[in-house]
Amino acid sequence: MPDSIDRSIEITRRRFLAGSAMAGFAAFLAACGTQGSGTAAPTGTSGTPATAPPSTAPVATKGVEATYSPELNWANWCCYLDVDPNDDKKWKTLEDFKAAHGTTVNYQEVIDENEGFVASISNQITAHQDPGWDIIVVTDWMVARLVRLDWVEQLSLNNMPNYVANVRDVYKQQTFDANMDHHAPWQTGMTGIGYDPTKTGELKSLKSMFEVNPKWKGKTEFLTEMRDAIGLTMLAAGLDPTKPTRADCDTAVTMMLKARSDGIVRDVKGNAYTEDLTSGDAVLCMAWSGDVVGLAADAPNVKFLFPDEGVMFWTDNAVIPKGAVHKGTAELMIDWCYVPEHAAQIEAGISYVTPVKGVQELYAASTDAATKALATDPLRFPPAELAPKLIQFGILTEEDEKYFNEQFAKVIGVS
Amino acid sequence: MGATTLERTSPQRRPDVGVVARARRFVDRYLLFTYTGLAIIYLLLPIAIIILFSFNNPAGRRNFVWTEFSLDAWLDPLGIPGIGSAVTLSLIIAVVSTLVATVLGTLMAIALVRYEFRGSRLTNALIFLPMATPEIVMGASLLTLFVSLGNPPFFPLSLFTILIAHILFNISYVVVTVRARLAGFPRHLEEAAMDLGANEWATFWKVTFPLILPGIIAAALLAFSLSIDDFVITNFTSGRTQTFPMFIYAQARVGVPVQVYVIGSIIFLVAVISVGLTTLAGRRQAGKDFEPVRKM
Amino acid sequence: MLSRRRNLIPYLLLAPGLLWLLVFFAWPLVQVFVASFWSGSVERGYSFSFSNWVNYPNAIGPVLPQVGRSLLYSGVATVLTLLIAYPLAYTIAMRGGRAKNLLLFLIVAPFFTSFLLRTLSWKILLSDHGIVFGPLKDVGLLPEDFRVLATPMAVVAGITYNFLPFMTLPIYVALEKVDFRLVEAARDLYAGPWRRQGTLVGAIVGGGLVAGLSFAFGWSPAIPTVLAALVGAVIGRFLISEAFVRVTFPLSLPGVFAGSLLTFIPAMGDYVNAEFLGNPDSRMLGNVIQNRFLTQNDFPEASALSFILMGGILIIVLIYTRVLGTDQLTQSRV
Repeated sequence: MPDSIDRSIEITRRRFLAGSAMAGFAAFLAACGTQGSGTAAPTGTSGTPATAPPSTAPVATKGVEATYSPELNWANWCCYLDVDPNDDKKWKTLEDFKAAHGTTVNYQEVIDENEGFVASISNQITAHQDPGWDIIVVTDWMVARLVRLDWVEQLSLNNMPNYVANVRDVYKQQTFDANMDHHAPWQTGMTGIGYDPTKTGELKSLKSMFEVNPKWKGKTEFLTEMRDAIGLTMLAAGLDPTKPTRADCDTAVTMMLKARSDGIVRDVKGNAYTEDLTSGDAVLCMAWSGDVVGLAADAPNVKFLFPDEGVMFWTDNAVIPKGAVHKGTAELMIDWCYVPEHAAQIEAGISYVTPVKGVQELYAASTDAATKALATDPLRFPPAELAPKLIQFGILTEEDEKYFNEQFAKVIGVS
Repeated sequence: MGATTLERTSPQRRPDVGVVARARRFVDRYLLFTYTGLAIIYLLLPIAIIILFSFNNPAGRRNFVWTEFSLDAWLDPLGIPGIGSAVTLSLIIAVVSTLVATVLGTLMAIALVRYEFRGSRLTNALIFLPMATPEIVMGASLLTLFVSLGNPPFFPLSLFTILIAHILFNISYVVVTVRARLAGFPRHLEEAAMDLGANEWATFWKVTFPLILPGIIAAALLAFSLSIDDFVITNFTSGRTQTFPMFIYAQARVGVPVQVYVIGSIIFLVAVISVGLTTLAGRRQAGKDFEPVRKM
Repeated sequence: MLSRRRNLIPYLLLAPGLLWLLVFFAWPLVQVFVASFWSGSVERGYSFSFSNWVNYPNAIGPVLPQVGRSLLYSGVATVLTLLIAYPLAYTIAMRGGRAKNLLLFLIVAPFFTSFLLRTLSWKILLSDHGIVFGPLKDVGLLPEDFRVLATPMAVVAGITYNFLPFMTLPIYVALEKVDFRLVEAARDLYAGPWRRQGTLVGAIVGGGLVAGLSFAFGWSPAIPTVLAALVGAVIGRFLISEAFVRVTFPLSLPGVFAGSLLTFIPAMGDYVNAEFLGNPDSRMLGNVIQNRFLTQNDFPEASALSFILMGGILIIVLIYTRVLGTDQLTQSRV
């Protein structure tokens, strides 16, 4: 089966797919008697202020200082860029960029976890050498750490007019980069619960993960991603993950350890939980929404639950590591992706929640029926009503992060 | 092993006859072969699954539920961006690092076994240590080394740094394996050769080398399998290059594509079939495989 | 003149390999050792001090269970691998004939494919209600909540499987050089199976192994140990000949030594099997080091743990070498 078609339809990316849960949200909302997501106002979830989004796509204006170098090195996660439908060995956006500006982008999907990847370039950065990559994509808590360590370049926003104009306002609320000049959001995702209702029955609350119930005893899994696991546990305990304290951490860790000793938990792992959900070895897991949608074909019984308490919501961001050789071109590349037309093309190819304004309008205004349908796709454009249930884990200080990681190590079993 | 022993009895014992003896002989003769067959099946079980699933056409992206038979992946094994270069790179690295490590390691093994010299204890420890070092520590410390040597670095992260790392961890395995063959090597054979007029060089190549060759080849096989599947150390020392294991791990986040199964199957089948063919060819010409002419 | 040249030869032979190890391994290792005496953090900077020796007990203190598991799982896996590999290597060496090379390749070639693929295949096979266990559970031979994956059993099985070629090949190369005429002569002299000693040794090995396994996996030890002791006794009594014990096995000892080193040493630092096949109650020291290094960025602690691991392994290897008798294993007969 040609991969390109798969990628455009399937929503498989593990961490970034806010909208994938929206199908569940729609059902959730319908059950609560509210309107489904499709009729949400076209401005989408960001709750943008009254200024209308640009109706025509602005063309990328050439920055004052930047020139286009002949090559650019970009490291990313798997499946984050639109594959060329005619040649599945190429990415369309990169081909277009090359045609327009002559830069060959060496794009490699080498990132499979934040820490491991950053560890492989940290030496170079601290030694003030070329880190090897001009653009890397890391999750927001890693961005916070990199900004704190001064391991990322400051963006010359003069070179990135499209970024400045079109980044959605909701992303400006984060605290780790107030001026939005060290990172550019790439895609957004959510963490909730993946489960098999045919085996567990219909569930509603995160508290189920901590209940001893023969239907799922010994068949649940936690995530090794600390912020997701602790965040969801805090939600189950009625705490607020946007302001995490050490006491909250202790409460959450104690809850998870008790779930382990009660025999509820099968394992604590990364996204290999999808294998267990598929085979039926696990029936109730902390899950990334994109993964669960991607399992639809392989494991049709498995569903994503948007619990009453809410879901963890976070973003992967493009940053330029310190010492990158082609900083200027990197900024221009990012800026290119913030042009609504280009973002729309990327979005159609990978179907995540885009941080770019104006994409939904482009889809709605399209004459092609398939593209038009994308505008009302709840997976790509989550409705505004759900915003309060999308909870972002608060940014931790260095000492707190260390404490949280140390405590969470007990849950994983390495302490 | 047991059968003939039971047959040959000491003078005090009566020879075993009858059904019991025949049953014993049957068991002893076939037991080993049955066991070997079972062991090989055990070893190949995952490979059978890999080959089977390379013909799968999964509904989604994850390839662990059998859906339907399809040759699509086999017709387009390099159809994913980056997979071709990753595989080529891994093969090149494996071959080169195996060659170099085998040479270096064999020389060291010979030195350690044949000669007594000061510092042999320390050298021994130095050989065991790389095997004992956690991969992540070895990878990270190598990276630190490469980065710290000069600015711009004397060893820029590339194919060469990966090679350096692979040769490094392979040397230990080669030394230990070749030593297993060398230990107990009867020196008198070499002395006989030299008495007959051969110099050290000729003695080595005509007497010693053929006899330890199986050990060298076994060491090379182990080194090759270590290199072609290494992930952690390669991850740290690769810079911008991507090897096949790195490719697989990155793809595993969303599901390993069927093409990876195809390439895995191809590697296995190529290795086995080529050896199978040489075995057949050897049978025809009744020449030697890598078995020495005379056992020590 | 000749003797002086002779004295140089070992050093010449060693030089290239040793140089490589010194430059690319020993030197970075010194840095790691220094790092184990650091205090501080990535952001605040690190400072070296000998008073930071407390890093070592602080690092190992909370993770003694994981250390114990590394020892137990690696030890058990090494013994299992030896028991599985030895008859295999024996058959190929003694009875393999022309097919020897092919059989050896069949043993090694599976390990040219990705570890991830192999582990995924095992997960497919050993899934709780999959191809193997599904029918057994449906028929009622196994309880519904029985599982192999996400247990220590799976971790040990994974280690055993993945190190099998590393045990088989060294034993093979050592066995293959055994002169069969020696064995035949021994048979003429010693005629007969191992009898009494065989029964005893077999029972001890079988029982001991299964007792260790029960301890590791939390089975109730009584019945399995007795059964294993019986099986071991039978094998020792009837299937192993004295000729084997007195001639073949000692000659193959260098291979056994090499194979067990190549299995035990890397297994001690292994983390992938525990990560993919285990559960939080079966993590090993390797997982701890991984976590300290990558997730917690605690380089001093990770470095200290690594040195404790390496030091422990060296000590164990030293003891093992002494027990088996050094000269026979590592020197050639003069």
